[in-house]
Amino acid sequence: MKERLIATVAAALRVPTSALTLETGPGDLQAWDSLAQINVVSEIEAEFSVSIPIEQVAEIRHIRDFLGYLEQTP
Amino acid sequence: MKCALLSNVNVESIARRIERHEVHIAQGYGVWTQELADPTSGTSSFGPSSVFLVIDGAELLRGQRGLEPVLEQLDEHLAWIEQAAERSPGIKFFVSTVDVPARALLPLKEDRIERRLEQHWHAGIARASASHANIYIFDLKALVEQVGRSLLYSNKRWYLGGLRFSTAGEKLIAGELERILDAQLVARKKCLLVDLDNTLWGGIIGEDGVNGIQLSEIGEGARYRDFQLRIRELGQMGIILGIVSKNNEADAFEAFERHEHMVLGKGDFVATKINWLPKAQNIAELAQDLDIGMDSIVFIDDNPVEREAVRTALTEVTVPEFPADTSELASFFERVYKDYFFALESTEEDRKRTELYSANARRAAERTAAPSIEEFLAGLGTKIFLTRACDEDLPRAAQLTQKTNQFNLTTRRYTEQELRVLQTTPGADVFIASVADKYGDNGKVFVSIVRRQALDTAELDTFLMSCRMVGRFIEDQILDQLVKELRADGLSKLRVLFIPTRKNALARAFVERLRGGRLVAAEETGAQTWEFDIAKASPVTKPAYAELLTKPVRVAEVVS
Repeated sequence: MKERLIATVAAALRVPTSALTLETGPGDLQAWDSLAQINVVSEIEAEFSVSIPIEQVAEIRHIRDFLGYLEQTP
Repeated sequence: MKCALLSNVNVESIARRIERHEVHIAQGYGVWTQELADPTSGTSSFGPSSVFLVIDGAELLRGQRGLEPVLEQLDEHLAWIEQAAERSPGIKFFVSTVDVPARALLPLKEDRIERRLEQHWHAGIARASASHANIYIFDLKALVEQVGRSLLYSNKRWYLGGLRFSTAGEKLIAGELERILDAQLVARKKCLLVDLDNTLWGGIIGEDGVNGIQLSEIGEGARYRDFQLRIRELGQMGIILGIVSKNNEADAFEAFERHEHMVLGKGDFVATKINWLPKAQNIAELAQDLDIGMDSIVFIDDNPVEREAVRTALTEVTVPEFPADTSELASFFERVYKDYFFALESTEEDRKRTELYSANARRAAERTAAPSIEEFLAGLGTKIFLTRACDEDLPRAAQLTQKTNQFNLTTRRYTEQELRVLQTTPGADVFIASVADKYGDNGKVFVSIVRRQALDTAELDTFLMSCRMVGRFIEDQILDQLVKELRADGLSKLRVLFIPTRKNALARAFVERLRGGRLVAAEETGAQTWEFDIAKASPVTKPAYAELLTKPVRVAEVVS
């Protein structure tokens, strides 16, 4: 799950996976601006067939938060 | 290529998806018309060669009350666009159609002003496009219709960041924009060559006949009719159409002339190569006749072996994969169009091109040398499994004798029951062969019946093969094997019967390429009996390209 998540985020940001860790988050990379953050959310939703409620999107600070969300979603 | 992307909504995310071209976007919301109006704007100083106006319908309506003010505003936008197009004749303007999502809650009595708005805008840009050479219609509404609003738009992205489209929608739109930009850089293909059997119609014309092929107005055969309709549309856009098919020319032309549901006519094709030569050789000759480059040819054929042969011999020719599900034929062809023949417009010159190339073809007298096919045949990994027919082979063997017209030396028809009798008749043998290659198993495609006539002589009563396998010299290799078996059993003479029909010119060609034959009987009907001395030499002249596997062949008892 972790590798797939990082690969999805990397593809959404068009950066190599090596540029990302679970601690990377919006603002840490030049490519990860507020617009890119929306694309990251969309691509994760599509890749993992989930819908992240808009209330939760604002609380996501790091890739780890996505992982936490995916793990608690059945 | 430099392009500008202007919109009444945020399109930065779309712009980021366009990687092969340099994109400028108007910064800030709602500034798109100002950008057009101002010769000193960021857009103007960027110096784009293409300007896209992607207009969001919902945004047009925001804050508006009633239809009239919106229509007025649209007319104003259009006036700016036309003015900009006139000021910059070197820039191409691609103006989108609009999709205005219907208001969800609406009494049935209420006028759907959304529709009127869409139509008003469409009529306006169609007029502008007709009167300005550099204004084009970018049909965004068609994309919405293709995938649906629920997939193209995204509420979440709109609320989160003012992004109207879903990521899938953005990818689709960016793809269309790239296609339009690419089309200005890359020359489109000039010529489409098509196979006939199982491509323009279902079935094999030489075996199934004009009334047996699948081609109809409705029902299953309609998939081929719809495919032909698309091909004709392409021809009308000035693309040269041609046929490259392994068939008897007369059979194919009969289908075009006599089948009531045939859409394409002989006249739609500038060049035809309907014969039994390797297709790569035919295509090379066509290119020469038409005086076009190999890189401007697209070739469509249902047979993977033919496709691979052409790809191997003519690397510049484009050979798309054929859909496994032929109900997808028409949509497959739409993709072929978009990928290889897409153009911003078709000019009068394009439309006249067909005539021009017809003339070229007629003038071309010199023929190109045949590209070598030996390597290709050797690389197919063909395997022939030749055995004496067993009981479960008989239905297929009978079917082959009934249906096969083209590569059939005697065209003698047998029922399953008759074959069953023959199978147990002393002095007669029924052989069947299946053929496989690296693309898969072609099944049982070959039948021969060998009859002993005397102590030292055998006769080929039947020797036939499905025309799908023609051109690979499989028949030669099988005959060579039969000769070896007969010789091992002490036979020294083989008689080969040839009974000509209107359709079996292929069989005649086969008999003519055998070596060392002596004509021992010739009838008025044209039927011939050739005798070959097989004690020391084989009549077969072609090298073996396939691996031939046999079960030990029991030699039939001698008829006393």
